[in-house]
Amino acid sequence: MNRGLLAKALRESWPGTLLFGAGLALVEAILAFVLPRFQDQISILWSQVPFIQYLFQALLGADVGGRLGTEVLTCIAWLHPAVLALVWGHATVHCTRVPAGEVDRGTVDVLLGMPLSRWQIYRTEAVLWLASGIAILLMGAAGNILGSLAVAGVLRPDPRRLAGVIANLFGLYFAVGGLAWLVSALSDRRGWAMGVVFAFVLGSFLLNYLAHFWSLADHLSFLSVLHYYRPLPIFRDGAWPVRDIAVLFASGTTLWTAGGLIFARRNLSTL
Amino acid sequence: MEVIVTESLTRRYGRRIGIKEMSLSVPEGSLFGFLGPNGAGKTTTIRVLLGFLRPTRGRASLFGLDCWRDSRRIKAEVGYLPGDLRLYSWMSGAEALRLFGSIRRRDLVREGRELAESFDLDLGVKVRNMSRGMRQKLGLILAMAHRPRLLMLDEPTASLDPLMQEQLRLHLRALARAGHTIFFSSHTLSEVEQLCDRVAILREGRLVADATLEEMRRYSRREVTIRWKSGTEAAQDPPPFLELQERDGENWTCLLAGPATDLVRWASSQPIEDLSIGRPDLEVLFRRYYQQGRDPS
Repeated sequence: MNRGLLAKALRESWPGTLLFGAGLALVEAILAFVLPRFQDQISILWSQVPFIQYLFQALLGADVGGRLGTEVLTCIAWLHPAVLALVWGHATVHCTRVPAGEVDRGTVDVLLGMPLSRWQIYRTEAVLWLASGIAILLMGAAGNILGSLAVAGVLRPDPRRLAGVIANLFGLYFAVGGLAWLVSALSDRRGWAMGVVFAFVLGSFLLNYLAHFWSLADHLSFLSVLHYYRPLPIFRDGAWPVRDIAVLFASGTTLWTAGGLIFARRNLSTL
Repeated sequence: MEVIVTESLTRRYGRRIGIKEMSLSVPEGSLFGFLGPNGAGKTTTIRVLLGFLRPTRGRASLFGLDCWRDSRRIKAEVGYLPGDLRLYSWMSGAEALRLFGSIRRRDLVREGRELAESFDLDLGVKVRNMSRGMRQKLGLILAMAHRPRLLMLDEPTASLDPLMQEQLRLHLRALARAGHTIFFSSHTLSEVEQLCDRVAILREGRLVADATLEEMRRYSRREVTIRWKSGTEAAQDPPPFLELQERDGENWTCLLAGPATDLVRWASSQPIEDLSIGRPDLEVLFRRYYQQGRDPS
């Protein structure tokens, strides 16, 4: 790791990280504050309209039975599309900075002109990526806790269970980021790289959703990254999904390493 | 000692040739001009030498180290100015010096300030607010501030005014005197002629010449004007080493190929009133090198 390079990467990425973190904190605070207040109305809707049940179950990735408990509402705050979009958005934006972003803005010749190995550049950027990911998720958790302070104590999430969900969400962030690193290493255009990652996460989301209605999608659902992100069992039973988290981290590590190997070996210069 | 050595270096972009079979050596402490028209392969060569691009075939080494494998170690000793320079828009000149110094683990601020003073650059201005010329000056300062053993400049005078071009030449000459090697890429003969002591010429990815300027001058032809004594009969045909360009009564305009001694010997036996020999015309030689399918010899 090179300190100067880390300072440069931090200087360029902190506004984005702050923006995504603040956005996540705000969304979490609003959801944690609002959802418990409308528990009765949502429960009525839940019991009267079966389609709503399907929608919720598809989003939650689990069969919740006929009951809409507190833990389900708490869970929605961590599965809401706005939350996923912010987490995935940050991973995609951050992990396509190098090399696709540098080639795209024409600064890669200056960067590669420095006495740094490509692995050194890659590792330094990755350290900042992981630190930024942890930072935005902690900001989200802080928002959630702040928002839930305004509701009755029984409706607040258990800190240990919340930590489990954050760990699972970080695994999701890591896997999507790993893919973004790989696509970025293969690309000279940041927009193209971001588009590919966006298509993948959108496909994952749809596959996970359709799996509850369509048997073919159900067979393929293991390919969706959301298949390994399940906050409901954590909030409901308190058990950490160690296997799912391990799959996400293994996938992310494999993709990140593949990206590093390509970045270290490919021809790179300003277009 | 040779600082840059390439052997049969080839770099292809798919079916297109970037450089082909290039064998080159640049001695330490030289001011080496790398000339060629646009698209001849100058930038590709530099990118291969700096380890941005992997050679398709052949070998390239700097300071005896392999350009691809030992790229990081090599770049610690190299200052590089890209042809199409784009710097990070958020930084000022002073921030750039601190940042680049931190990456290179050296203090560049003092040397950078001195260079900025001689290039008349305000280091407080952000890159995004700089003109092209200012950015070029900052790029040069960042390339030179760590006093590299080898300075690779890809068309460095682009966007510099004539005064700054002269200032740059002074700096480069001083660096070369101190033992630093300058690799200066350009498509303009005149600036290479003013600065460099050795020149390589590239055409369509191939090295077509590699010689000192003195040798180049020897290859090039010189304009000779002869005025015959009035009333005498001029020679019917010029000797083989003179190519007659124009015959105007008693005046001849010719091109001389080869050394002047043959001409002097021949002229001494002729009824010549006046004779002048011009400076070697490198421009003609270079134009011939640039033109496709012509052998300048």
